[in-house]
Amino acid sequence: MRASLFITCYNDTLFPETGRAVVRLLERLGVQLDFHPQQTCCGQMHANTGFRTEAFCQAKRFVRLYQDRETVVVPSSSCVAMMRDQYPGLFEELGNEELRRQFTALLPRVYELSEFLIDRLGVDDVGAYFPHRVTYHASCHGVRALHLGDRPWRLMNRVRGMEQVALPNLDRCCGFGGTFSVKNAEVSSAMLAVKLQDVVSTGAEFCTALDNSCLMHLGGAMHRQYAGMKTIHLAEILAGTEAFPAEALA
Amino acid sequence: MSNAAQHHPVPDPHRPVLDPRYAQPFPKAVLPVLRNPQLRKNVAHAIDVIQAKRARLVTEKADWQQLRSAGAAIRSHLLENLAAYLEEFEARCTEAGGMVHWAADADEARRVILDILREENASEVIKIKTMTSAEIQLNPFLEAAGVHAYETDLAEIILQLGEDEPSHIVVPALHVNRSQVREIFARRMGLKDLSDDPHALTAAARTYLRQKFLTIPTAISGANFLVAETGSVVVVESEGNGRMCLTLPRTMITLAGIEKVLPRLQDLEVMLQVLARSATGERMNPYTSLWTGVTPGDGPQRFHVVLLDNGRSQMLARETERQTLRCIRCAACMNSCPVYRQTGGHAYGSVYPGPIGAILTPQLMRMHHAQTLPFASTLCGACYEVCPVKINIPEVLLELRSQVVNQERRQGARFFDPMYLGLRIANLIFSRAWLFHTAQFCGRIGLRFFTRGDGWIHSLPSIGGKWTQTRDLRGLPPQPFHAWWAERNRTGRQEAK
Amino acid sequence: MSATVSTRRQILDRIRAATQSVAKAPDELAGAYTALPRSYVRRGGLTQQARLALLIERLREYDAEVVECGPDQLPAVIAAQLDESRKRIFVAPPGLPSTWLAPGFHWKIDHDLPAAEIEKAEGVVTAASCAIADSGTIVLHHSAGEGRRVLTLLPDWHLCILYASQVVETLPEYFSRCRRPPTLATYISGPSATADIEMTRIKGVHGPRFLHVILVDDLGAPTILN
Repeated sequence: MRASLFITCYNDTLFPETGRAVVRLLERLGVQLDFHPQQTCCGQMHANTGFRTEAFCQAKRFVRLYQDRETVVVPSSSCVAMMRDQYPGLFEELGNEELRRQFTALLPRVYELSEFLIDRLGVDDVGAYFPHRVTYHASCHGVRALHLGDRPWRLMNRVRGMEQVALPNLDRCCGFGGTFSVKNAEVSSAMLAVKLQDVVSTGAEFCTALDNSCLMHLGGAMHRQYAGMKTIHLAEILAGTEAFPAEALA
Repeated sequence: MSNAAQHHPVPDPHRPVLDPRYAQPFPKAVLPVLRNPQLRKNVAHAIDVIQAKRARLVTEKADWQQLRSAGAAIRSHLLENLAAYLEEFEARCTEAGGMVHWAADADEARRVILDILREENASEVIKIKTMTSAEIQLNPFLEAAGVHAYETDLAEIILQLGEDEPSHIVVPALHVNRSQVREIFARRMGLKDLSDDPHALTAAARTYLRQKFLTIPTAISGANFLVAETGSVVVVESEGNGRMCLTLPRTMITLAGIEKVLPRLQDLEVMLQVLARSATGERMNPYTSLWTGVTPGDGPQRFHVVLLDNGRSQMLARETERQTLRCIRCAACMNSCPVYRQTGGHAYGSVYPGPIGAILTPQLMRMHHAQTLPFASTLCGACYEVCPVKINIPEVLLELRSQVVNQERRQGARFFDPMYLGLRIANLIFSRAWLFHTAQFCGRIGLRFFTRGDGWIHSLPSIGGKWTQTRDLRGLPPQPFHAWWAERNRTGRQEAK
Repeated sequence: MSATVSTRRQILDRIRAATQSVAKAPDELAGAYTALPRSYVRRGGLTQQARLALLIERLREYDAEVVECGPDQLPAVIAAQLDESRKRIFVAPPGLPSTWLAPGFHWKIDHDLPAAEIEKAEGVVTAASCAIADSGTIVLHHSAGEGRRVLTLLPDWHLCILYASQVVETLPEYFSRCRRPPTLATYISGPSATADIEMTRIKGVHGPRFLHVILVDDLGAPTILN
């Protein structure tokens, strides 16, 4: 099985450890990974802030780079949601028939990480070991745009040594919302305060999710407040084994 | 503009401004609210109650999704054929003895209503709650013209006597708690010994209104639905004040947005099933009234309908915007909204707050005002999930954001705005991998200055400061992922760790 | 029509211009309407017995009192209900069957009574047009036996006589039953209520606080015991 990793602009820059975990995990599962060296961004930040013209540029570029890849794996549900929800409209508006066809052919081959594991590889036991207490935050794009359903739990339930604690109001938005976090920083912080209360109340050591965007926001507040918890992307949990524990602990 | 200035009363600094032309931008308007624990608690409590009730009933309703699909289809069909259905409604209503008036904007609607009231020699009217009348700011206008409008809905009385504004379209006084209501009623109704028990408060309101219902001969209502097939009007309520206003007076004036029409009576079988469940978490609200024109011997013998455009017809051209008008004013969207939960309705600066307000208000204003509202959302999608007529609110929000940005670009308004600059630079950076990598390198160097010993950034200038107000940011890692990958390939594949 | 004739033209022209690419031609409109997808539940699946039981359950959920009887027992049951109410003055619509006007009470028959007179009544007795079991809704079309709308609004106590044959399970069934659309209707699903103060549900703001229903078995089925 071959797959091409689209790491996403913010993971590349801010969370390379998530990328390393994805590589470790998928190679352990026998996937032959490649990485397009020209990749940058899917355009979500621009599209969501109203900068459609700029988002077009990035969308076109993404399709050109990946049109001949067999499968694309993306460890970020919001980026995949961008492609599924907004790219069709963008390409329609652009009026470039060839690009639109290429995109339409490519889209079914783009997978968020948990979708890739469950649907494409057909595995839920990835051989992971993570002996900690963990609570899972269901990112909005994963729940409502990608309809991930129980995929994250099917994966988490097979992680050896891990104790899961249910997060109250787990699918309530954390308040990040991309540029909302700075354009409406105060409301974002109010939503974060409420979310953090729920997260800390679980008594877990780690809060995990499928999106580092939410985790950056939650983790940033945890760090500021000495909350006694950390965030970790689910890929890093799944990549950890007894022999080679998840990097977050290092 | 001069007309607006004439009818805009002297602003009371303590009274929330729900006129989008004068309201503060959303990021500013929320600040006092976020610092008000009482209000945030009141809002959260109210929406939790409705949400829980709604969730139970939706789970119970096996055909809920099919009802939503039908609701969306009926409303879309109606909007696509609005002219034909409006004409049909007008013809049937007129045949049944109603008088139909058309108002292009708020100003015209107010004047038409005042003209009717003058014909009736009315110095007082009783009103059923209608957000449409708040949209056109009817009460202050009538007051200035010597006509006092008595609100009869309990929440509206609380707001009217408390000189306050609605913060929700179904439960407009949800931001007010019982002791606040007690204080308002005791003061304005002269009831010094009034307790704060909701039963006592409600009884006080009932007494306050009874004589008004029996003596004031002119009433103003809104409409939940207008039925084209029959020319009927449908009003949905809980308290009975609507029924009072609909049956006792001599003259009834119904104000309704042009989008309130349904093609056939049968369509109520969908709308009524989804409306009550969404709005109040009930299978059906206590009282729904339907009437057609004038019925001799029963109810008002003079009946007027004022059909209001006020920016709606401008929204019909494209499906992306047109879907906004499907709204049946159930408020499920604001009840599910994590932003609204923290801010309540006043911060939106409009009688239509929450997710629907964020898309409806700017469009009614033809995008000249309320431009911060489309950004008052994290695009979490909870609203779309609950909307009984499947308005894809996130899709409309994105479209409106794009329109606002283009507007600002054309005006050259924000050329040096850090956000605009940053995004244009980011686009350039993302256009070439080498630019992206260089920018990462520069960012790492630049941010080193702000990175403390623990490897985290606690304070940043400019836009960055909006992040670090309440959150730390981990310092940029020394090696981006792509560099790690490239190095790994150069040094040969390591064993999978 | 009023002085807003030119506004009317303006608005309709604007609408037509905006929707010209999607609006149906007049002869296609009805067809487009009929083709709208309706896969929601139209007809209920409950047996007659279950349907009546559901209605009773819903009515009792919002504190309406329900008694059942056969057609022959109706006048006696009405008298008993009126007796239990401890009220004396009742208003009735002009078309109410005379056998329902139990003796021993002060009856005001509504021949265009002024509101002030109706205010003096302590209760009202009416027939109904239909009831919808799913939502516990009583439907009044304000015929001669149901009375003007004000009659079931001002008094504090309402006794409604409903026949089993008038009960449907779902709201769509009610609409498909209406041979002609009603011009006047009131749908009652509980006593007046408000939750405007801290979401605390208070009953009986305006409109009858007390609803009593007599469910008359005119279908020949065995009556359901309370």
